[in-house]
Amino acid sequence: MRTGDERLVVAARDVSGAPELLRMEEVTKRFGRLVADDAVTFDVRAGEIHALLGENGAGKSTLMKILYGLQQPDDGRILIDGRQVEIGSPHEAVSLGIGMVHQHFMLVPTLTAIENVVLGMPTDRPPLLDLRDARKRLVELAERYRLAIAPDVPVWQMSVGAQQRLEILKALYRSARLLVLDEPTAVLAPQEADQLFKIMRHLASEGRGIVFISHKLAEVKAVSDRVTVLRHGRVTGQLPTADASASELATMMVGREVKLGRTAPPMAGGDPVLELEAVSCQTDRETAGLRGVTLTVRAGEIVGIAGVDGNGQSEMVECIAGLRSLTAGRLTIKGEVLQGALRNPALLGLIPEDRYSQGLVGDFSVAENLVLKAYSRPPFTERGFLRWGRINGHARAQIEAFDIRTPGPLAKARSLSGGNQQKVIVARETQEQPALLVASQPTRGLDVGAVENVLTLIRRQRDRGAAVLFISTELSELFALSDRVVVFHNGEIMGEVPPDPALLGQVGEMMMGRSLASIRSEAGSAA
Amino acid sequence: MRAPILVPIRAAVRPIAYRAIVPLVSIAAALAVSAVIIVIVGASPLEAYGAMLRGAVGGIGSLATTAVRATPLLLTGLAVALSFRAGIFNIGAEGQLYAGAALSAAVALLPLDLPAIVHVPLTLAAGFLGGALWALVPGWLRAYRGVSEVVTTLMLNFVGIQLVAYLVDPIDGPMGERGASYAQSQVIAESAELPILIRGTSLHAGLLIGLGLAVGLFVLIKYTPLGFRLRMLGGNPVAARFAGLSEKREILVVMLLSGGIAGLAGAAEVMGLRHRLYDRFSPGYGYDGIAVALLAGSNPLAVILSATFFGGLRAGANAMQQSTGIETSVVLIIQALTILFVILGPLRGWARARAARSSESVEASASAV
Repeated sequence: MRTGDERLVVAARDVSGAPELLRMEEVTKRFGRLVADDAVTFDVRAGEIHALLGENGAGKSTLMKILYGLQQPDDGRILIDGRQVEIGSPHEAVSLGIGMVHQHFMLVPTLTAIENVVLGMPTDRPPLLDLRDARKRLVELAERYRLAIAPDVPVWQMSVGAQQRLEILKALYRSARLLVLDEPTAVLAPQEADQLFKIMRHLASEGRGIVFISHKLAEVKAVSDRVTVLRHGRVTGQLPTADASASELATMMVGREVKLGRTAPPMAGGDPVLELEAVSCQTDRETAGLRGVTLTVRAGEIVGIAGVDGNGQSEMVECIAGLRSLTAGRLTIKGEVLQGALRNPALLGLIPEDRYSQGLVGDFSVAENLVLKAYSRPPFTERGFLRWGRINGHARAQIEAFDIRTPGPLAKARSLSGGNQQKVIVARETQEQPALLVASQPTRGLDVGAVENVLTLIRRQRDRGAAVLFISTELSELFALSDRVVVFHNGEIMGEVPPDPALLGQVGEMMMGRSLASIRSEAGSAA
Repeated sequence: MRAPILVPIRAAVRPIAYRAIVPLVSIAAALAVSAVIIVIVGASPLEAYGAMLRGAVGGIGSLATTAVRATPLLLTGLAVALSFRAGIFNIGAEGQLYAGAALSAAVALLPLDLPAIVHVPLTLAAGFLGGALWALVPGWLRAYRGVSEVVTTLMLNFVGIQLVAYLVDPIDGPMGERGASYAQSQVIAESAELPILIRGTSLHAGLLIGLGLAVGLFVLIKYTPLGFRLRMLGGNPVAARFAGLSEKREILVVMLLSGGIAGLAGAAEVMGLRHRLYDRFSPGYGYDGIAVALLAGSNPLAVILSATFFGGLRAGANAMQQSTGIETSVVLIIQALTILFVILGPLRGWARARAARSSESVEASASAV
């Protein structure tokens, strides 16, 4: 959990007298035998920020998909302004004044901001596309809510934060009175998140209702007026935020007490395993990816990489894996410059940032995914043929050892939950005790229990002497796990700090692009 | 209580049964719609289908005709199915078939005094090589330059057809029989002919090559590291790259194998059936191979069944025309409709869900034991 966030806490307002914008009553949605939402009742009043809290798979997203017309409920009803409505499609949702900012933005990268805003709306002068009035209106909206945006810049050139602002503007442009924000802070630096919270407050103060979906307790505490907690599709709590302590909320969410804090002091590393000397590379768009990064990871230490998504972390991982070529500098693992370190599982284990698209073959069985790298070596292949008995036997052992919840080794990887998919990857990548383990966003999208599991597995690798590079956008995790924290911004290292929670603010500033040196000199002159 | 021994057997058979539902229902639906068309043209569907059935399976001669028609479809179907499994869309089997036929004919025409035991394999190898060469350029472009193989393989089909037309031109084609009334080569050497399997029919050993390859490819895909790599590439190319797979090499390997197999189809036609290289000898076997692979869900063993079905349609078509006067093109309609239903069948999702569920129950019964 984030600490030191007191400055964010805004006194929650009492809106119990305000009219009800939305009421979802006893909404139930089943997928086969799985009950995603079980008689969920949820309401939003005008002027209220209502947090929807729950682990992944708790039913938050399904509930909101029903609200946005993407799914139809099996049971229950929806009332807008007290009138019962049927929401058959997102189009109908929009016309009812519902706006949604999805976790994965729904923007066309090659179109400009203004083009994305008007996409799907009738134009002023059909059949021509006249954007003058639209642009004027967008600029007005942007100024009014301080949502800085350049209307004529294509989306692919925008930062993630700007894309999010654009998504919000898109909803406002369509006169949304009820705005749903799905995990909006997942892609933001702490300071950007603060900015977003201010905007949310402003929007609510004008009588809009806001649904804030999150699994981060500190943020829910900081910004919401009321909170509804979901677990396994059921409402386990609904109360004014002011009345709830973080630990109470966590218990409602997970169903038991959770510990994520540090368990041991930072460790000093041994011999260098991974060494980057002034490494530079390009991104897929041929812009600068890394700019002269120098970094050493030693045996028996976890080096945490902090930074907002898209600041060179992915490129660094691909350079280490040999999937991206360096434009300058030198990268060695155990002192050697390697081609295809990926093919040597005793040297490099890699937990890729996108577990489903990079780490697994969804249509392959769990057993096949567990030997995705080792399939051609004994004992899995002998005399030129795969030995399915051994492959499946190996899978049964790994399922047992890593507590992978699956119907069996032959179940398709796509049918597993995110946490269990990640366990498959961790099991595979650590099986040969690699000298270097690179874990890129290993907990992204996982629920609290699964996060705990994955972090423990990574810590265990460090404890047996592996060098671990741990990349995350979650500062709480980085501080809990790392022995040193290195901050990335725009392909460069801004500075390095020990995992001391008192330094969180400094890390946040470095994530925004200030170097540690300049932060310290300012602090020095202020003192 | 059922006999407990039956439980695992039933559980193992059920997913296969569900996988067969889509193709079977698609075929039935295609036949039903075609029946309406037959009624519209003023004939009796029962009579027509009866004649077709007799022409396809009524007696040794009919069965042999079906098998002869099925042989090139089996080979091109396998070629396409293999590429599909690796996520590559080789729709150039037609061109590769012509290229294979041309190179094998060149070897088969050589006035070598070779025993058949040497000449036949040599000619087959030439056929494989011809098809593989035809796939080499699209394969290389896809692997190293990212050019879509769909476009390049398709375009090379026309080049392949025209290449053969040039080769066998009766006036100036290097392989053409001078003065012949049709664009064709000389008759190939007897030592390069594929043996006839049943005397009195034209059923040749090309069928055995196809059947052997079907089994071989099944084993390759399921039981070898190469097959594992190809399925990985087809299943998720990005994950394959992150697992250290050299995507480029595998793409090239698949294209060469697939093209080679399509080339064998051309070689088998020349060596087993026609004994000459003819201009436009293929009525679109390469394209039909796509249909065969789709109906079979790209499973090499199922390709045997689906090639037999399409071969039977072709064999039965003539019999139907003779006895009912309905144009043979009805079978093209049946073939096209079948594929249409396979592709867009609303059943598809349902069958997949059922198959998934029954494979879960395999797990359940396995863990219960």
